[in-house]
Amino acid sequence: MPACSISSNAQLRGSGAVQIYLPIAEISVNIFLLLGLGTGVGFLSGMFGVGGGFLLTPLLFFIGIPPAVAVSSQANQIVASSASGALAHWRRQTLDPKMGGLLLVGGAAGSIIGVQIFTALRQLGQIDLFISLTYVGFLGTIGLLMFIESARSILRRNRPAPRREGGVGHSKRGWIDALPFKMRFPRSGLYISVIPPLVIGLFVGTLSAIMGVGGGFVIVPAMIYILRMPTNVVVGTSLFQILFVTALTTFLQAAQNQTVDVVLAMMLTVGGVVGAQFGARAGRHVKAEELRALLAIMVIGVCIKIGLDLVVTPADLFVVLPHGGGLPQ
Amino acid sequence: MILLALALILQPNIPNEAPGIMAALTQETVEIRENFAGTSLVLYGATRGLTLRDEIVVVLRGPNQDLRVMRKRRSFGIWVNAAPIEFDTVPSYYAIASSLPLDVIAPPEALARNGIGLETLLDPAIDPNHEPPDESVVASYRAAVLRAGSRHALYAETPGGVDVLDGGLFRAVLKLPPRTPVGNYNAEVYLFRDGRPVASRTTSLRVEKAGFERVVYEFAHDAPMIYGLFCVALAMLAGYLASVLFGRD
Repeated sequence: MPACSISSNAQLRGSGAVQIYLPIAEISVNIFLLLGLGTGVGFLSGMFGVGGGFLLTPLLFFIGIPPAVAVSSQANQIVASSASGALAHWRRQTLDPKMGGLLLVGGAAGSIIGVQIFTALRQLGQIDLFISLTYVGFLGTIGLLMFIESARSILRRNRPAPRREGGVGHSKRGWIDALPFKMRFPRSGLYISVIPPLVIGLFVGTLSAIMGVGGGFVIVPAMIYILRMPTNVVVGTSLFQILFVTALTTFLQAAQNQTVDVVLAMMLTVGGVVGAQFGARAGRHVKAEELRALLAIMVIGVCIKIGLDLVVTPADLFVVLPHGGGLPQ
Repeated sequence: MILLALALILQPNIPNEAPGIMAALTQETVEIRENFAGTSLVLYGATRGLTLRDEIVVVLRGPNQDLRVMRKRRSFGIWVNAAPIEFDTVPSYYAIASSLPLDVIAPPEALARNGIGLETLLDPAIDPNHEPPDESVVASYRAAVLRAGSRHALYAETPGGVDVLDGGLFRAVLKLPPRTPVGNYNAEVYLFRDGRPVASRTTSLRVEKAGFERVVYEFAHDAPMIYGLFCVALAMLAGYLASVLFGRD
């Protein structure tokens, strides 16, 4: 038998009245820790214009929220943050509803697929590994690309060279122009096939359900580099799509797995909303390419951390998995 | 319950009387509310015919669950969960308190016969399609289950956790950690004499969510679709409020 219950004393003593019991996650956590996490990630998301799910979900795993609950509740929190962002863009008309709708159709299908994959992998006991691998793969690739791109613009700014390739080249879309089922997108000023937005939407929807992220860090580069949308409508349209995909993910996870913890989601939302305001203000004092470089470094940092956890010999070589979402873990 | 205990003390203590044991918990239900961060329970009891050779063992066990334990293996440089062994009907909470260390009270076989000690309850589920795993392998998996439970204070053993008081009375303090699972619990009380149980008694305890926690949990499980819509609506409202509050910058 294991040693006696001394470990519980430490937990009991450190708690006081600031603990909150999460009804679905079925654990008790420090209320200020949750608000703090929400605020911290909200700050970064306001500063960089990303959802911040890719940071928050691993942090939630780390504080002991069961992965299934963390991913689902995180999706619920992103509904709130993207709703507030999308509304602001809607007012400013920097949102392409037609393109967003198309991405959404793909996203809805992807979300359904993602929830099924999630359920299946959870039954196999491989969900942790799969989530970690997708994180390492995506964060690594996107972080690196973003870092190279922003480092180049910083260098270019310091040593002004003639810009040749630059910006948004409508002529250089190549194979995308060859696809059938073309449609006009007046807000974005595009005339392209509906296939790429549908496929991108599908892909991001699947990721969103599996990783508990909005997918902004995938969809924003995809819209800029693949669809060649004008940058001013990219963020608003991405938020619009994220809003509905995470809403659907939340609903599906709640209906199928009962893993949405509304108390957890609301705590994170309150922190996130406040943090995002301060973050947005702080972001105005930093140059855009420097912001992107910082974000890239952060993304790569999270990627390295998760990657190391996969490679370094774990403290306990065994994992105890409940059949059907309880504890201990 | 305490009256019962008192009644027992007032009884004349006749030596050579048939040994007996009574026990009651200070609470019959533990409610998990929003500020739940673990709690303690006191188990009171009285014995009849307690002699110097007698020792008391208290076991509190929580609802059963099925576990799958996997061992991490390195493949292509990364650690992957592999080689699962299933353990069915494992208590999700298991605490033992005793008046002396268990190995002093009774030999392991006698404890195992009465299901005292979590190791004795961990039998791997038999899979007809596979060879049953080696006993030494199972032992390492069993140890992993014990480690995982004690990490969150769900499994605990407290030698000396039963205080034997005057007049055959005893008491034990049992701790329920923040992660206490909900469900039906059984507290078993054993009176051991010369390494054999001579009397035992079981009382029950219910751990349940109460108040707000219960409302949310039941909402999520009884009406999952409406709950899902509610969560989405609430988040959208929060987002809308945020944009109004901090709006047009």
